[in-house]
Amino acid sequence: MAEKTGSLRDISLAVLASLIIILFAIALVNTMTISIPPQEQHRWLSWEFLTSTYNWAVKKTWAASPEVVTSVLWDYRGLDTVYETSVFFLAIIGGLMLVRNYHPGKKYSEKGMSLIARTITKITVVSVPVVAASVALHGHLTPGGGFQGGSIFAVASLLAIVALGSGFLLNRGWSKSRLLGFRTLGLIIIASVALTLPVIGLLDGVKAYVIQNQYKPWAPVSFGYTANIPFLGIILYSGTLVFLNLAEFLAVSAGLSLAFLIISLPREELKKSGGIE
Amino acid sequence: MDAFWNVFLWGYIYSTVIAIIALTVYGMATRPHLVKKLILLSILSDTANLLAVMIGMRKGFIKPPVFPGISYTNHPVANTTQLAKFADTAVDPVPQVLVVTAIVIGLAVLVFLGYVLILLYQKYGTLDVRLLEAKITGKGGKK
Repeated sequence: MAEKTGSLRDISLAVLASLIIILFAIALVNTMTISIPPQEQHRWLSWEFLTSTYNWAVKKTWAASPEVVTSVLWDYRGLDTVYETSVFFLAIIGGLMLVRNYHPGKKYSEKGMSLIARTITKITVVSVPVVAASVALHGHLTPGGGFQGGSIFAVASLLAIVALGSGFLLNRGWSKSRLLGFRTLGLIIIASVALTLPVIGLLDGVKAYVIQNQYKPWAPVSFGYTANIPFLGIILYSGTLVFLNLAEFLAVSAGLSLAFLIISLPREELKKSGGIE
Repeated sequence: MDAFWNVFLWGYIYSTVIAIIALTVYGMATRPHLVKKLILLSILSDTANLLAVMIGMRKGFIKPPVFPGISYTNHPVANTTQLAKFADTAVDPVPQVLVVTAIVIGLAVLVFLGYVLILLYQKYGTLDVRLLEAKITGKGGKK
């Protein structure tokens, strides 16, 4: 829809946008945030993170996990990640306004793509959640974590919706309230893990802070980091990290699957359940 | 000559990323269709994530920021020499941490805006802002 009358306005907007972005780029280069070519030395902060998360000698700053990214996410700035999880939850809740009068009951069509696509999807849809669970369970040992595992799981439900038809999951009991329940269960686990150590500290009369992981000299309570499990030996679970990763996996996978399911509902169903006059 | 090509190629890559950001901002301001604005917003957020990861890159080092060789059952004590050797070859973890959450939050924002667009379309039957303005205010809009 190109219109001649708007062209002067468009040109001035283009000049303004490029000016702002060029100033932003000059600021990034001048403050040495971007170096051309890329820098070879670490910045101070990343060196500190890399050398302290698995440092058995200095236990007052460690996170008992070899995975630096997960340690920063759930230990050093854990409260920030909790807030980001709540932002995600609120976005899903906002989406539920689309289906606030939605009462499932009838069977939905399972007409998806061709036979070839359906067969391939039936194989991958089973294997993708296995990868997702592995990524989430090893979140404190190898690259990955709860966010990543949850996103991979959501890919499986999206595949099923697109290739096997939107009815495939709906007819098998993936209802709105059930997925919301899983979502809320994950959030409740995160909240209770975050509040366990402060409650223990309160009962013992010592200091402890919210979403604390390991022992600190000024907050002498800890989740521990190894456990002796029969038939397995001594396993490393890195305190809160494994529980938080699992809860986040549950929350993100259920939340994203719910979001995709709502979008995939038939149009007349959305119109009926949205309550628009 | 080698140093020149280093600076030229890396400068070219960085300026491409920054040009994409400028183009998406321009497009979001001028395109009248809301779905096009949404597409441009997703390109903008992905490019910003790419820029953050590129800032964290170290020339010549590609190891992930995970101390190697640790599993559930095998977790030896790491000494300072091993840690320094690992930290020397690993990439910068801080931008990765920012991008991990930015991706999920960006997806949530995208899904939310998608819901809002579906609602708007159901109510007004169009997603063109000029027609929307005419339908909501009942006057003007289309020039």
